Amino acid sequence: MSQHSPSNLEADLATHLGRSRSVKVSGFADRVVLAVHAYRRRQIIRWSSFATSMAACLVASLVYFNGPSEEYLIQQTQFLVRSDEASQLSALLGMADDLSMLSPVVDQNSLVVDVLNKTEI
Amino acid sequence: MMTPHYSPSSEDEEDKRLMALVAQGDDHALRQLVDRHHPRLVGYLKSEVGSQTTAEELAMEVFIRLHRAASRWRPEAKLSTYLIHIAHNLVLNEWRRKSRKPTSTLDSTPEPGDQSHKSARDVVELEESFDRAVNQLPIEHRTAIILLVQQDMPYEEIALAMKAPVSSVKTWIHRARTRLRELLKDHYENQ
Repeated sequence: MSQHSPSNLEADLATHLGRSRSVKVSGFADRVVLAVHAYRRRQIIRWSSFATSMAACLVASLVYFNGPSEEYLIQQTQFLVRSDEASQLSALLGMADDLSMLSPVVDQNSLVVDVLNKTEI
Repeated sequence: MMTPHYSPSSEDEEDKRLMALVAQGDDHALRQLVDRHHPRLVGYLKSEVGSQTTAEELAMEVFIRLHRAASRWRPEAKLSTYLIHIAHNLVLNEWRRKSRKPTSTLDSTPEPGDQSHKSARDVVELEESFDRAVNQLPIEHRTAIILLVQQDMPYEEIALAMKAPVSSVKTWIHRARTRLRELLKDHYENQ
């Protein structure tokens, strides 16, 4: 093995590393542009997929929180039943009111009845 | 870390102009930037990882990241320093991912006996010894000495690229030189 001067080490290191100081690759810029285009496409697909998933989650959450769950249906049914009972009661009371209002008229003879009573046939 | 005074040259101004166009999605400007910077970037990466293919793949990733960051990029340092910074981070990731396989830069093995072949064999031996020695350096020491000796970068730029204080860079380079002298002492007399 040949011996070199120590002062040559620095120069030899520079020569050794300097061999790959600049490595030009033909068509590299085109490859980079293609890779960037592919990256953009992947990003668009990723975002559209993410947006679709988020929209699906949103719809699902709306349906889940606002939709007719079993408990919700029971509550609604009970409410309807209660409101129906109330309406029946109020209808009855209303009719009673009507009857009470009508009752004096029923007790008294109407003008027609009086006329008929007085008319001798 | 101190940021060194940065006075942009005409080349830096051109980089700045091209980066502004890249941020707007100009592919032609991206091509120009890649043509301007990829040779040194691939050269640096090849010295770091040994393989031309891996160096090209990493350089590709550097430019994709540059494209992604184009709109946020501020010209506080040279673009080449920024590229080396991204590349250095990728090299660190690559080294964490897998151990490096040493490669030989010279393929031909000369026949013994002939004086010219003996000389060529010496060159091959020395090259291989350099490869092994540089490969054995700790990653920070190796990167620092490659950027200094191969890429002719000043200490301040190396510090920026490696996100380290200048004093650390100087220490790494000193230790790298000392270690290389030890590893290559068989080739160099009076060590």
